[in-house]
Amino acid sequence: MQQTSPEIGGMGHSIKRKEDSRFIQGRGNYVDDVRLPGMVYGQMVRSPFAHARLKSISTEKAKQLPGVLAVITGEDLAKANLAWMPTLFFDKQMVLATGKVLFQSQEVAFVVAEDRYTAADAAELVEVEYEELPVLVDPHKATDPSSPILREDREEKSNHIFHWEVGDKAATDKAFQNAAVKASVHAVFQRCHPAPLETCGCVADFNSATGKLTIYMTSQAPHAHRTLFALVGGIPEQNIRVVSPDIGGGFGNKVPIYPGYVCSVVASLTLGRPVKWIETRSENLQSTGFARDYHMTAELAADGNGKIQAMRVKTLADHGAFNAAAQPTKFPAGLFSICTGAYDYPNAFCEVDGVYTNKAPGGIAYRCSFRVTEAAYLIERAVDVLAQQLKIDPVELRRKNFIRPEKFPYPSPLGWSFDSGNYEAAMNLALEKINYQELRKEQAEKRAKGEFMGIGISSFVEIVGAGPAHTFDIAGIKMFDSAEIRVHPTGKAICRMGTKSQGQGHETTYAQIVAQELGIPAADVVVEEGDTDTAPYGLGTYASRSTPVSGAATAVAARKIREKAKKIAAHLLECSEEDLEWEPGKFFVKGAPSKSKTIQDIAFAAYTNMPAGMEAGLEAVDYYDPPNLTFPFGTYICIVDIDKGTGEVKVRRFIAVDDCGNVINPMIVDGQIHGGLTEGLAIAFMQQIDYDESGNVQGGSFMDYLLPTAVETPHWETDKTCTPSPHHPLGAKGVGESPNVGSPAAFVNAVVDALAHLGVQHIDMPITPWKVWAILKEKGVVS
Amino acid sequence: MALRIEKTFQVSAPIEKVWSLLSDPTKVASCVPGAQITEKIDDKTYQGSIRVKVGPSVTDYKGEVQILRLDPQNHEIEIQGKGQDVRGRGSASMTMTGKLAAPDNGMTRVTSTSEVNVVGILAQMGARVITEVSNIMFEKFSQNFQALLQQSADQPAVASAAVTPPEPIQPGSIAWQAIKGMFRSLLQALKGLFSAKA
Amino acid sequence: MAKKQLVRVKVNGRDREAEVEPRLLLVHFIREVLGLTGTHVGCDTSHCGACTVVLDGKTVKSCTMFAPQADGRELLTVEGLIKDGQLHPLQEGFKEEHGLQCGFCTPGMLMSSYVLLQKNKMPSEEDIRWGISGNLCRCTGYQNIVKAVQYAASKMEQGGAK
Repeated sequence: MQQTSPEIGGMGHSIKRKEDSRFIQGRGNYVDDVRLPGMVYGQMVRSPFAHARLKSISTEKAKQLPGVLAVITGEDLAKANLAWMPTLFFDKQMVLATGKVLFQSQEVAFVVAEDRYTAADAAELVEVEYEELPVLVDPHKATDPSSPILREDREEKSNHIFHWEVGDKAATDKAFQNAAVKASVHAVFQRCHPAPLETCGCVADFNSATGKLTIYMTSQAPHAHRTLFALVGGIPEQNIRVVSPDIGGGFGNKVPIYPGYVCSVVASLTLGRPVKWIETRSENLQSTGFARDYHMTAELAADGNGKIQAMRVKTLADHGAFNAAAQPTKFPAGLFSICTGAYDYPNAFCEVDGVYTNKAPGGIAYRCSFRVTEAAYLIERAVDVLAQQLKIDPVELRRKNFIRPEKFPYPSPLGWSFDSGNYEAAMNLALEKINYQELRKEQAEKRAKGEFMGIGISSFVEIVGAGPAHTFDIAGIKMFDSAEIRVHPTGKAICRMGTKSQGQGHETTYAQIVAQELGIPAADVVVEEGDTDTAPYGLGTYASRSTPVSGAATAVAARKIREKAKKIAAHLLECSEEDLEWEPGKFFVKGAPSKSKTIQDIAFAAYTNMPAGMEAGLEAVDYYDPPNLTFPFGTYICIVDIDKGTGEVKVRRFIAVDDCGNVINPMIVDGQIHGGLTEGLAIAFMQQIDYDESGNVQGGSFMDYLLPTAVETPHWETDKTCTPSPHHPLGAKGVGESPNVGSPAAFVNAVVDALAHLGVQHIDMPITPWKVWAILKEKGVVS
Repeated sequence: MALRIEKTFQVSAPIEKVWSLLSDPTKVASCVPGAQITEKIDDKTYQGSIRVKVGPSVTDYKGEVQILRLDPQNHEIEIQGKGQDVRGRGSASMTMTGKLAAPDNGMTRVTSTSEVNVVGILAQMGARVITEVSNIMFEKFSQNFQALLQQSADQPAVASAAVTPPEPIQPGSIAWQAIKGMFRSLLQALKGLFSAKA
Repeated sequence: MAKKQLVRVKVNGRDREAEVEPRLLLVHFIREVLGLTGTHVGCDTSHCGACTVVLDGKTVKSCTMFAPQADGRELLTVEGLIKDGQLHPLQEGFKEEHGLQCGFCTPGMLMSSYVLLQKNKMPSEEDIRWGISGNLCRCTGYQNIVKAVQYAASKMEQGGAK
């Protein structure tokens, strides 16, 4: 790849972000900032019960309150066949409750009023009568005959949703039978929630004069949402425009379609006025797409020296009341089968069973590329458990088992082809930076004094960039992505992509790709996303797919432009194309570098001096079907110190070595790592959405669902290795989710390592001070 | 959210007098802050309501009170109350066992064991707040009960008809007391830590 | 419905007034009545700090105040940091040090940092982390925000805008 100058700012330059100007002035345009003439407000009425029959809803008092324009119930929606809507995964979900409610905070009615406060007053006046039903919150009891059947709407009266398996069961079982050593761990990845700082919401604006419906929406996938609205709502797709403006964080929470959006659209269609619905934080935590809730058992079979022979995994997936998980259709457990990890062995078998419970629906979200976080956590915990059992250093066990660089593309035992990797190099860099041997010495000394210090390693590999059309689609739409680039006569450019940034810096990074490929300074390239009327069709931003898919499309589209530019250059320089060479920003004649034309000259000529027979303009569009996914990886090492008196775990140091192939903007990549590690810290030590036996949510607001502040968050140390992706046009892999994928295991491994000499093998997250203190008490360390 | 609350208090009144009050749900309800019996269905079943204010948040529960077990011999009563929030924001139920004993000192000891279950928005506040609120309500109940005993000692055999309208606990007081209660225990815990060091 | 009340506030140097319901939250007054949408709402329990503004020189969470409580007082919001087209050193610092990603917490962070620097001209990393501990961020992990504030502190020490 040719290096560009800092003025051009192509790949590898840490140029400052172009989108920052408006945010630092408080002039971003988030959905709640949208104000339209005649706009009214919607508010949800929600169920307090986890499982109950809806006996009656009385909306009279609410409707009579001055300023109230409508109160919509499930019964009203049913008349338009909209009381239920399809989920993104072969299930359906109630938009507004009909017949019964299935989780606490489920949507029951939608009030529309002239202003926010009146809508809230009216919501209080809606009277709902419920008949409580027995509640199911333990996923392990979902298939017990004594448990209530939740989904009476389904043909099969069962709480079991799916069974999925992959791998060679017979060969794996045989490997286990013959194994010298077996280690197993039961790890629960607790239910948590992405909690982006901006909650979900929309402004649905139906113009009855033109028949056009515009929806300003917190959406990570505006085109997919537009198509779904068209298919489900029966509104002609050319009359729907979804605009995803500035989004205050997504992390997967803004991929599903929520009842609030649908009700706002219905209300706007009915009233002919813009309807704004913005959920509160409590509503966000209690009813929108949660993450994880995977109950996993992993077994590793190894020979006496610690060489892994096989892995066996059994997982119970709690999906809540509706299977609203957003994932590619062929993968009910997402990309969980990456759970074999960075290690080389021939056999594996994995099975996952999904069940319904009386909890909020969903199951993916939270920066994990479709269950990859769960998978990486599981294998990295299992490897540590195996190391503990064999009394081998966890670093050495990993080193012994890593897939060697020459084995790529590596066919994993569960069917993936890992594009490239050099796991040992990343681990060595991390070990060097942290001075591993010294730390082990320190740990031994501390142990002798009765002090607790732990070192946790996570050498993860993840799978992002979904995905090739032959295997990947969401709700039937293939997972390609797109880029459209148009160069103006004065040599500046505008591009639009099918993805949608929620803070990842696309306005800068895509511009840098264009800068790299065309030599147009990134400062001269405008990037737009999110308006379905102007951007080419794409599947959106989640699962770290923007760089691998849309980034590739951008490079390919730019190369198409470069091809045409070459023809124009040849015409301008009066030579043949074969005589020309390219350096970023200009074509020049081989051997006569002063005979050159800049891309700006060429752009001008594309409108003023075209070769005979050539179409005017200088633009291209590309829809990129990735040939494979990409496999970023890394090693994270975490050092913790435990306070015996309080059980508090303090992260002393954390080194993150990431390999995401070629990097577009190192500053932006580091920012992603910092943010993702902070999320991992929260998950490991602080976060859980729990339900009591009656189905009452226990993590339903920021009082209980904790986000780390600047005080709890340590200083993250980052570094990189670079193993480019052989199939990506820029050799880039994507990185946004790596820190959330790889870090939970590093934190947990560190705490377990600190307590391993007491016989502790595993602690489930969140590792609160109380849990640690209770272990210390149980082991007689404190009284 | 299920909670178990056990309370014991002593009253200076003979056991039979105490029993006559305890075995009458109307009388018991009059001592529970914010509660009232509205209708007697039969000997064992009553309709009632209770208003609970936590800070500015008011919940009105309407439901049924049932006498599950009445044992005059052993002075034991078991009552079950179940109610739904009239605005559809939740439900609460409570099973209470009240036992009387007459130790030698001429007093009567009242022991009550309650299992409280709250479902709905209130339950999201967690066991901490609900326990504190229940404790405060029980404190008030025992005060009211003792006052009622005193009253009936001074004026024998008052007809149960006119029950004074129930007064819900003041908006500020429950929340404030609950918070004070939580801080009290926290302060005690902290004191414990420091005194251990000394 | 309660009778509307007149609220007069000096906002970013300008006198503004409006008749509002007494229960109107200050954050809604700022965003919807005054039209200054830089101040954001991120939670409903006063935790996140996205609504932080400066009232009579002190940071307040505007979601936990009623508009009438600001009557007769001076309010500074993020829109008031820029002077004659010149960015405040803090705003520069956030851009230079990549102290923002989605931008939603940024106005609140800026206002908290603004007051922090008024009280403490050369804060240490620990001072800064405590100073912004009332502001939650989901994207940056806070590290670059600390650098942004340090950038602003040194720029202001060298004689930049106050």
